[in-house]
Amino acid sequence: MSDANSAAKPKQKQRGASQAAVAWRRFRRNKSALAGAVIVGFFIFISIYGIFFAPYPSRSYYCLTNGCANLPPFVNWAHPLGTEYSGIDVFSEILHGALGDLYVGVVATAISVAVGLVIGAFAGYRSGAVSAMLLGITQIFFTLPVLVIILLFARIAQILVAQGLGLTLIVVILGIFGWPTIAFVTRGEILRIKELEFVQAARSLGASNSRILFRHILLNVMSPIIVLASLLVAGNILTEVVISFLGFGSPNTSTWGLLLQEGFLYVRTSWWVSLFPGIAVVVAVLGFNLLGDGLSDALNPRIRE
Amino acid sequence: MGELLRVENLRTYFFTEAGVVKAVDDVSFVVNEGEPLGLVGESGSGKTVTVLSAMGIVTKPGRIVSGKIFFRGQELDHASENEMRKIRGKKIGYVSQDPNSSLDPLYTIGNQLQEVIRTHFEVSKDEGWDRGIKLLKLVGIPEAETRMKSFPHELSGGMRQRVAIARALAGEPELLVADEPTTNLDVTIQAQVLELLKTLEKDLQMSLILITHDMGLIAEMTDRVVVLYAGKVAEEASTHELFQTPRHPYSAALLNSVPRLDRKAALVPIGGGIPNLITPPNGCRFHPRCAFTKQVCMDQIPPLEDIGGRRAVSCHRWKEIELRRNV
Repeated sequence: MSDANSAAKPKQKQRGASQAAVAWRRFRRNKSALAGAVIVGFFIFISIYGIFFAPYPSRSYYCLTNGCANLPPFVNWAHPLGTEYSGIDVFSEILHGALGDLYVGVVATAISVAVGLVIGAFAGYRSGAVSAMLLGITQIFFTLPVLVIILLFARIAQILVAQGLGLTLIVVILGIFGWPTIAFVTRGEILRIKELEFVQAARSLGASNSRILFRHILLNVMSPIIVLASLLVAGNILTEVVISFLGFGSPNTSTWGLLLQEGFLYVRTSWWVSLFPGIAVVVAVLGFNLLGDGLSDALNPRIRE
Repeated sequence: MGELLRVENLRTYFFTEAGVVKAVDDVSFVVNEGEPLGLVGESGSGKTVTVLSAMGIVTKPGRIVSGKIFFRGQELDHASENEMRKIRGKKIGYVSQDPNSSLDPLYTIGNQLQEVIRTHFEVSKDEGWDRGIKLLKLVGIPEAETRMKSFPHELSGGMRQRVAIARALAGEPELLVADEPTTNLDVTIQAQVLELLKTLEKDLQMSLILITHDMGLIAEMTDRVVVLYAGKVAEEASTHELFQTPRHPYSAALLNSVPRLDRKAALVPIGGGIPNLITPPNGCRFHPRCAFTKQVCMDQIPPLEDIGGRRAVSCHRWKEIELRRNV
């Protein structure tokens, strides 16, 4: 009898569907979001692939001395995307540039998110003079012509202090100028969430301030921040391209922006040097934007399929 | 029957840009063991703020301006966050109004129960989990083991409210505050939740404060009532006496605005709305809406007068006027 009973018992489900599981289900059904994820995945893959398997090292002028400079693409399969007039292999350089741009995009975004979260959390959770001041600073940042200031900083820092820093300098500068949006959104979300009843409930049941802030409030803030971060990566890659294109970047580290700029000088004759990194930038930025949009739809509980 | 919670001359003001909102203005009452107390009044009369003040969780711009709170005769030091945290959940459990938002959507029911249990007791995670299952069984949730792994959005409103009650019980409090526990529930579920609260009160020998605007709930659930109006105590009495002979015109008006099945009587709504608490009316705060207003009501604030038999009323004219429930 008991055996029959236990056999008839329906299989217990192990765990309910968490917010993350629900979001993933929604994300999976969104084709453009999936496309974004695939592009981003591919971007990460080639940047890692480039470290180990790129045919030529970063910034190598191999062809200058070996007679293969300024080759058009799809002619010589040792140089599938052609070479530049000074002997740089475009395909290898795109692989290396992927790593550089990934570094710029992700690390600068990480800095922005860290700074923005701390400032936004403080401004939202506490009230008082310091919070008001932080909010004021954030708003001042919005009014600044950020690109011009970034260029200025990049040039000054390159000359004065950080000649050896290369790309890291750009990363730090982008990180420092990227946080205001994050801080602003974090603050707004925290102002909303801290009034929700589960926060009051946690407090009424003896949870400490830090526990409420980290466990209950910040985690609930994360979904818009994840979306913003994804979009910010795209923005940072673009800004890096602009900086390099204008000649303010690091001349010794491979990035797509640098290759674009080098090719631009001879774009009438050697169009391929600029075209391929240009396509790479467009696709990568598109990928991160699609991913961000998809995450935004998936994580927003108000949008139900 | 010992005294559990005593609130003395509590004033909690909200310092907003528009001015100082005197949400709770000189409120005193006592909760005794085994004597469920109802706090009743319209929205904005200061019921919830009173209780939040007692627990020391009024959020800015609100602040306790003056007053003392005693728990079992011991004054609570609201300045000490650490000490207050031991009161919250451990001595006083709080069930908030809206079960849909009182549970954190990111954690399983089990996680949330475990969190509270492990805040108040030094037990292992497994032990916390097992206690959580017991709590869910206590509040009548079927398949407690499975439900522990569910997320709040997978439960119905009534279930969520049961979970919220279980969570409030996790610290084994001596006093449970139920803040409009049924307002957001279906009528059928309301009855179940009330039944549950009654059983828990009896079985766990726990005292109860019920915050509500529903006189029906007051009649069913409580032994004593404090009627609040615009941040002040209008009347305090045993539930039975209040329903038989309300002494304050506001109490009478509240009773008359509730439908009755046993007699045919017109429902009488209370005219007007709750006053602006930044600039409350002079004198008695109820005078603009009161049918018995005289000059004295407009000029002087009526004191909360002890009228014997553990009753108190705050009305200049309670002796002269005859209040009746509608015949």
